[in-house]
Amino acid sequence: MENEKFIVPEATFTEKPDGYELKVLLPGIGKEDAELHIEGRTLTLKTNSKYQNPAGFKKVVGEFERANYAINVDLPEMADAASLAAKLENGILAVKIGKKPETQAKKIEIA
Amino acid sequence: MNTMLNMDPWGFLDDLLDTSSRAFRAMRARAAGRFPPVNVFMDDDAVIIDLELPGKTAKDVELTLESQAVVIADKPEPVTDTVTGKTEAGRPAWSRRLDLPFRVNADKANAKFTNGILRIELPKAEANGVKRIAIAG
Repeated sequence: MENEKFIVPEATFTEKPDGYELKVLLPGIGKEDAELHIEGRTLTLKTNSKYQNPAGFKKVVGEFERANYAINVDLPEMADAASLAAKLENGILAVKIGKKPETQAKKIEIA
Repeated sequence: MNTMLNMDPWGFLDDLLDTSSRAFRAMRARAAGRFPPVNVFMDDDAVIIDLELPGKTAKDVELTLESQAVVIADKPEPVTDTVTGKTEAGRPAWSRRLDLPFRVNADKANAKFTNGILRIELPKAEANGVKRIAIAG
């Protein structure tokens, strides 16, 4: 019984003043094929690719294979897990996470 | 210590072609972002070409069919010169050309994007045989 092999996908994590954005490249993966979990501050992603080589054809050039992706991301302290929104479109997963309001920069009025 | 157990100097080439090896992945990583990887499948009646293009859709790619070749190229947004106001087509970031061993039936060719993978189906043209040309005079 072979263990499923997972590839770490290309991902970028950017911080903006009002939140964070995680962009993961998942070619061949649709919405239904990806599982996203959050436990505490750790985001886990696993996919079950449905990309198939066309049946009955001979592979003449093979520069990429059916791949399943898995990645764990530890979110920073200021990330607000409750305000997480994820969208998977055209093989790119975009996860937007807000920052905890109490950690946002605030102007303090001097009396 | 010098261990010369493996005397095959060309072994690294097998590594480069083995998609599961680290050497292949390293080569692939260097090419990543410069042009999309391609899978080509053939049977007696058609050729199927898959390209890995995450995030792209039909409007981002230019597909051109020649009599015996197919060219897939990046189609960037048009660029407008802020000084002169002229708009030009942007320079494509990548382009891949595949020469085919047979002529393609352009009417039956189709291409579809699914989850960032572009699948192009090119059926062989029926009359791939040799045509006789009548000589006048």
